[in-house]
Amino acid sequence: MSGAHFDHDWQLGELIDSHELPELAAALARLLGGDLALADGSGRIVWGTASPGARRQAVVIELDPVATLCSASASADALTAAGELLHDLLRTRIRYRMASALHLEVVAEDFASLKREHARLAESEARYRQLASELDARVKTQLAELEERQQMLYAAERLASIGQLAAGMAHEINNPLGFARSNLGSFRGYLQKFAALRDDLDHARAAWQALDLDFLLADGDELLDETLAGLERIAHIVADLKAFSNVDRSSEAYADLNTCLREAAAVIEAQLPAGIGLRLDLLPLPPIVCLPGHLKQAFYNILHNALQAIIDSGRPGTIILSSAAEAGRLTVRIRDNGIGMRPEQLAHAFEPFYTTRDVGHGVGLGLATARSIVVAHGGKIALDSAVDAGTTVTLSFPIPDD
Amino acid sequence: MPDQDGKRLSFKLVYYGPAQSGKTTNLLALHEQLAPEQKGEMMSMETQDDRTLFFDLLPLGFHAPSGLSIRCRLFTVPGQVAHDGTRKAVLSRADGVVFVADLQRNQETNNAEAFRSLSENCARVGIDLERLPLVVQFNKSDLPSAIPQTEIRERWQSAPWPLHFASALHGEGVRETFASLLGALYRRQDEACGLSREHGLNEAAFVAGLMGTP
Repeated sequence: MSGAHFDHDWQLGELIDSHELPELAAALARLLGGDLALADGSGRIVWGTASPGARRQAVVIELDPVATLCSASASADALTAAGELLHDLLRTRIRYRMASALHLEVVAEDFASLKREHARLAESEARYRQLASELDARVKTQLAELEERQQMLYAAERLASIGQLAAGMAHEINNPLGFARSNLGSFRGYLQKFAALRDDLDHARAAWQALDLDFLLADGDELLDETLAGLERIAHIVADLKAFSNVDRSSEAYADLNTCLREAAAVIEAQLPAGIGLRLDLLPLPPIVCLPGHLKQAFYNILHNALQAIIDSGRPGTIILSSAAEAGRLTVRIRDNGIGMRPEQLAHAFEPFYTTRDVGHGVGLGLATARSIVVAHGGKIALDSAVDAGTTVTLSFPIPDD
Repeated sequence: MPDQDGKRLSFKLVYYGPAQSGKTTNLLALHEQLAPEQKGEMMSMETQDDRTLFFDLLPLGFHAPSGLSIRCRLFTVPGQVAHDGTRKAVLSRADGVVFVADLQRNQETNNAEAFRSLSENCARVGIDLERLPLVVQFNKSDLPSAIPQTEIRERWQSAPWPLHFASALHGEGVRETFASLLGALYRRQDEACGLSREHGLNEAAFVAGLMGTP
């Protein structure tokens, strides 16, 4: 029966099972006086043996005989009654079979349509998944592009700060150079006076006095001292620059943070105007593996901000640079008593391109660069500031376990 | 796709339409009015509150001059929206359809919905609605709330199907609808089944054979 449509032509064998047929036929046979043969719709005998000359009674369902009763012993009346009985039985059976076959068809079709729906949903899910992964990839590409651009801007900012530094250094070097040159010019004049003395050695005493050579001797000594000091200062500045100029050297080294701090401080110290001081409170630190050039850049950027904050306040002030090893971390604090930051400035301080300065005075990458360098070292950076009281930048780095 | 085994040709005709538009009433009226050579009992499968849950079945038949036995099995589908699965299964393998619409104005939406379901289910069970013998019957024309025939004819002007008006409950228009479908069925099947060529049946004889001479 499975697979057959509900509306096909139902056969006797489908309506009465082979195991119940003998029982049913035997009962009918007893009612009909003993002799009975049962044929299906095609006339084939399915139970008993048809006697010659037997009466026949067809049982019609819809338009066709589904079964035929053949009996030699039954009266015509009894055979008709038996046919009606069998008809009612078969009619009940066929209703049941059609209903159940239809029900099965509907269930199978419902299931098939559920499966189709499921397949459609699965396909649409796959499509959304693909879309999501494509979006993910696009976001990643754009992020990478952004990062690359940021790196380029960091480089530009670094170049800009190096330019600023160079201008400052030129000024610093020009100053001692100026007075050294002027001193040496005076000294040449002094030497010409000694040459004049040599021409008038006969009246040496009088000439000595006239040429005021006592003063020349004393002042000449002073000029040379001063010039030497100036040259010493230039040499110092050049040494500082050399120490600082390897900021782009990105090789790792086993270094003492205090050395980096001192080198960065030395550069800023050369730029300090009158009334602004720099104090170093450095406690001994264990050396760590780091990129010293990059760290110096970070320290310099923060120190430069501190200097600018004090200049902006219009008051004399001091930058205090301290370091310590505490609770398993290296801590560096750079504190100024300058103008301080307002809360909204504080909130944006680490954002790239955030600046309160006029166009042409820094693009707002100083702190952003410093933070990215500190983070690259596994460190943390924090800002604490109050308007007109000053700012403290705290940096801390992990000390690796040995 | 009629069943054909050489001696017999069996067509399946389906009465389709919205709930309680009078599909079963059509079959009951036909059972009463038709007198073909062979007419089976009307079989109603499971009803609830006068509503068909599975289907109704009325078998009719006659013999062509060639001796071929020609049958028509008339089915109704359950009209309620919830029984769409059953409706689709009953519609499967149909050779012709009578769409029984309810003429009452407040049933217009249900008619449209049922016709849409007919079109969708035809597509799902592989029946080409364009080539399917189909007639449309507007039933309950006796009710005061019925939409006037002129309005319906105007609205359905461009539809390719024969339109009939009926009051199945009073036995009116039912035979005409059925005869119209039989005509369309004959024209669709004549060639493929060799009705005139091999079995000596013209359209009038075919229709008369299944309806019985009144």
